[in-house]
Amino acid sequence: MNRNKQTEALGTIITLIILVLLIFLSNVQTSKLSFFEGIVSSVLSPVQNLFISLRNKATGNNTYFSDMELLIAENEELKEKNSDLEEQIRELEIIKADNETMQEYMNLTQKYAEYETIPAYVINKDVSNLSSTLVLNAGSDNGVKENMTVIADKGLVGHVISVTNNTSKVQVIIDSASTVSCSISTTEQSIICKGTLDNDQKLRASFIPTGAELIHGDTVSTSGLGGIYRKGIHIGTIKEIVTTSNVIDRYAIVEPAVDFSTVNNVLIIAE
Amino acid sequence: MKKLGISVLFFITFIIIYILQANLFPHLKIAGVMPNLFIILILWIGLFANATEAIIFGIIMGILLDLTYGKVIGITAIMLCVIGYLGAYFDKNFSKESKFKILLMVIGSTIIYELGYYILSVAIIGYDFEWLRFMRIVIFEVIYNVLITILLYPLIQNLGYKIDRNFKKNNILTRYF
Repeated sequence: MNRNKQTEALGTIITLIILVLLIFLSNVQTSKLSFFEGIVSSVLSPVQNLFISLRNKATGNNTYFSDMELLIAENEELKEKNSDLEEQIRELEIIKADNETMQEYMNLTQKYAEYETIPAYVINKDVSNLSSTLVLNAGSDNGVKENMTVIADKGLVGHVISVTNNTSKVQVIIDSASTVSCSISTTEQSIICKGTLDNDQKLRASFIPTGAELIHGDTVSTSGLGGIYRKGIHIGTIKEIVTTSNVIDRYAIVEPAVDFSTVNNVLIIAE
Repeated sequence: MKKLGISVLFFITFIIIYILQANLFPHLKIAGVMPNLFIILILWIGLFANATEAIIFGIIMGILLDLTYGKVIGITAIMLCVIGYLGAYFDKNFSKESKFKILLMVIGSTIIYELGYYILSVAIIGYDFEWLRFMRIVIFEVIYNVLITILLYPLIQNLGYKIDRNFKKNNILTRYF
């Protein structure tokens, strides 16, 4: 009996340790482990270097390898320079396109400032893994109605799906059921951004026109189609473009500007 | 009278779990996935109380959760009700003595709950069916639920049999012999 109890306690402790380790390991970033990598490599690399230099001296290829290293370094430098220049060209292109649409955006920012907004706090977040909704502390008493747009300081959050007297429920744009019609800022072409079940808070942009040229880092904002969101609300930037064998199938990963796990203060745009 | 006290206990447990689920577990995610203690609670009620109690509690708690978070009222209620019935079914057909069987029941009901919830969401709300991402979430949720069940097992067993005695006074002997 006593032994049984002991094993039971041991089992509980082991489970607890596994639980803590799982939580810790699944949340730690590998970049933070580079400290340990550094220790290991700083211990091992002098030894390794010594052996390699000895071997090279013995076989007489040390000059060949040093030339090779120089060439590799030069190549690397040139590649870096090249990519820098390419990036500059792209930036200039973006600036050019920006300049062209600036007049339009001028009007839009003025319009944005004219919006009557209702400030609210996030008071509750979804407990389910399969959906993400927020509960705000402003309700119909404050003038909130269904389908109103909710924004945070950096960009779009979602829209109101139901209202009580004092609270309102918001469907976030990263929710699996959410679909937003967007446009790419440089080319003005429209795409559809859908939420996914992924926990990394990314949007999946599909229905990209076959002729559209997507640029990494392009900003994405709402297109105003669909009747819920107004035009020109910032959503995020294009993080990754996935090309498939068929051009129609290709999609892009859009990173929202708002961090939905820490969002606290939001504004509800009143009609 | 005692049954009423037990029902109150169930409701208090629900509120405690709700507070944990909303405030503690978002900070203790495993690979971005939270556990679902509501499943374990309803399964426990089904196993140690009776089917009626579990189904009624499943529906009440489900509707409360749907009102606070849901896009459609009823999906959580239906699935928790199913889990309650499942708990009572397990009670009739399997022994609750072994830890391993309880863990299998938790695994089974977590999978059934999430699968049903997701299929209903796809059908009613219009989710895209992303089965790979969904499977990833379910696997981590099952692991998390199992670990929590192992930790809570002494409580589940001891408190469970106290409740069991109140609900099944007469038929304990006839059930096994």
